[in-house]
Amino acid sequence: MKKIVAVLGVLLVLTLAGSAMAADVVKIGHTVSLTGGASMWGQSEARALDMLVKKINEGGGVLGKQIEIVRYDNRNDAVESVNVARRLVSDKVVAVIGPAQSGNSIATAPVLEKAKIPMVVTTATNPYVTIDQKTDKVRPFAFRPCFIDPFQGTVAARFAITDLGAKKGAILYDVGSDYGQWLARYFEEAFIDKGGEIVAKEAFRTDELDYRAQLGKMKDLAPDVIFIPTSQKEAAMAAKQARDLGIKATLLGTDNWGSPDLIELGGSAIDGGYFVNLTDLADPDIQDFVAEYKAEFGEEPVLPNPVMAQDALIMIVDAIKRAESTDGTKMAEALSTTKDLTVTSGVVTIDPSNHNPLDKPAVIQQVDVPGKTFKFVKKYVSVE
Amino acid sequence: MQAGLFLQTLITGLSIGGIYALMAVGYSLVFSVLNFSNFAHGAVIMLGAYAGLALATRLSLGFGLVLAGSIAAAGIIAVLNERLAYSSLRKRKAPSLYLMISAMGCAVFLENLVYATIGSRFYAFPEFFGRQVINLGSSSISLLDVAAFLFALAAILALHLFISRTRTGIAIRAGVSDMTMCSLMGVDLDRLIAIVFLLAGGFAGVAGVFLGIKYLVYPTMGWVTNKAYIAAVIGGLGSLPGALAGGLILGVVETFVSTYVSSVIRDVFSFTLLILFLVLRPNGLLGQDSEEKV
Repeated sequence: MKKIVAVLGVLLVLTLAGSAMAADVVKIGHTVSLTGGASMWGQSEARALDMLVKKINEGGGVLGKQIEIVRYDNRNDAVESVNVARRLVSDKVVAVIGPAQSGNSIATAPVLEKAKIPMVVTTATNPYVTIDQKTDKVRPFAFRPCFIDPFQGTVAARFAITDLGAKKGAILYDVGSDYGQWLARYFEEAFIDKGGEIVAKEAFRTDELDYRAQLGKMKDLAPDVIFIPTSQKEAAMAAKQARDLGIKATLLGTDNWGSPDLIELGGSAIDGGYFVNLTDLADPDIQDFVAEYKAEFGEEPVLPNPVMAQDALIMIVDAIKRAESTDGTKMAEALSTTKDLTVTSGVVTIDPSNHNPLDKPAVIQQVDVPGKTFKFVKKYVSVE
Repeated sequence: MQAGLFLQTLITGLSIGGIYALMAVGYSLVFSVLNFSNFAHGAVIMLGAYAGLALATRLSLGFGLVLAGSIAAAGIIAVLNERLAYSSLRKRKAPSLYLMISAMGCAVFLENLVYATIGSRFYAFPEFFGRQVINLGSSSISLLDVAAFLFALAAILALHLFISRTRTGIAIRAGVSDMTMCSLMGVDLDRLIAIVFLLAGGFAGVAGVFLGIKYLVYPTMGWVTNKAYIAAVIGGLGSLPGALAGGLILGVVETFVSTYVSSVIRDVFSFTLLILFLVLRPNGLLGQDSEEKV
């Protein structure tokens, strides 16, 4: 009997010690694509985050506690993202960073909302990541440090008019994609608003390969720019076909162009095209980060995810400090009032009405096929 | 200005139609002999494109060798496909529906095999022809499209001559009319069918390389052949001139619908055309009687 009591006593002490030790760390979840098609960005994102966590912990952590990242691979899959979210809930993390993609983020949001755990996604730009499409109300626990598509469309239109001197614009978009459809609309509105004229707005269906009928129509109308809000695959094919038809207009795209294989797929046809992106290696604001990352890992970060993940962590840490608590509801309140916070990509202020950043910068990059790179052109902080 | 748009639409339509015709020939060849729709043809085209891509990027071969290699590879794959998936069904005299189901299974299998081994990413061929454009007034067409169109016509003509003039061609035509009789006359049916699949596969290789250069190479690229199938039905399944005519008609009509009506309803239009032909004229434009097939 005594033995049993002794054993129980030891167990009790160990359990108490364990929970005391657990209380010394702040667990932050990270749902990221470590495998699959988006793993290139995901791996780099994980490294950048670990780098920053180490730095924060060396500086004393947050509320006197060390930060511990609990990381799971969501394989860039919506179903797996939900599984990861459930595991993070049972791991009792206080906040979650990620996912990076809009679809996975929209799948993750309700799980974390139910558990009252705030999430800060990294690069998901669809408006419905932070707004519930059913109720049209802001999701109380979802936030992001990246710009959203209406801003991106406006930046593209403004760049076309003021920097490229475009007067006539044309749009080629995928009618089956929310991303493309909405961006086409935002671009059109902004382009007309800034005094331009949209001479053609042509759609194709998802998985279609030949856009020459649509482009042929545009050719006679001689647009100065053609806006193509698609992923790199469609952009590459559209560029080739436009050049085959003798169309000389400047091609303009969005952040989904920003995949390194755009250059291989598009070849000489895509050379000189411009697109909007979240960050750029040459962005003056992130030079310290790029240098630090290179020194640590011996290669350049795969942008924009590493920068956006650091922004997300900085927002969470700031919210914990201001809330003086790791309670989910209090943190979410603090996150929604984030103001003039210095983050890796610049400065962020969250709009409490939609949990999106105000005046989040966007960069314009130019495709340089001979140099096999995307060249930094300029940075927009606001479009007003 | 409007005349310019009309001419450009016609040129684009013919160039798309040429590729459809090239793919439709493969359907028609197999249908004429075995009387079923070989839905694995698209997957063979896809594998032909990957073979060509490997030759072009790994071995840095020129266009001619890439095309030849792709024809050979796709031809062998098509023959293997027949040996493994169709021949036992054929020997048991299974209804052609079973062959068609087997073909669909092959298409899904081959596609997933590529997913599992090569992966889902997209590839592009090197720029063999540069970006040279031929201008006709205000209309333009790339050198590649002209080359692809002429090559498609030449290849279909060569096939037509082969089938109408050579001994093997006569045997194929005999097989089309009556397989059993043909075999009683001493024709080796297995060999005959292997030749038919070799030819269909060769055309798949050509189509794969042109599709890959024109667009991109990826595991589901073979699904574009559903358009080629419509073309084959319009022209009359089993008829070679029909495949050519059907391909060109579909390409031109689709492009005109996209340009003058709406690009979004283009496929609605194509599939409506397929249904209309199946209901009103199941033998298509040129496939009236079995004697005239191939």
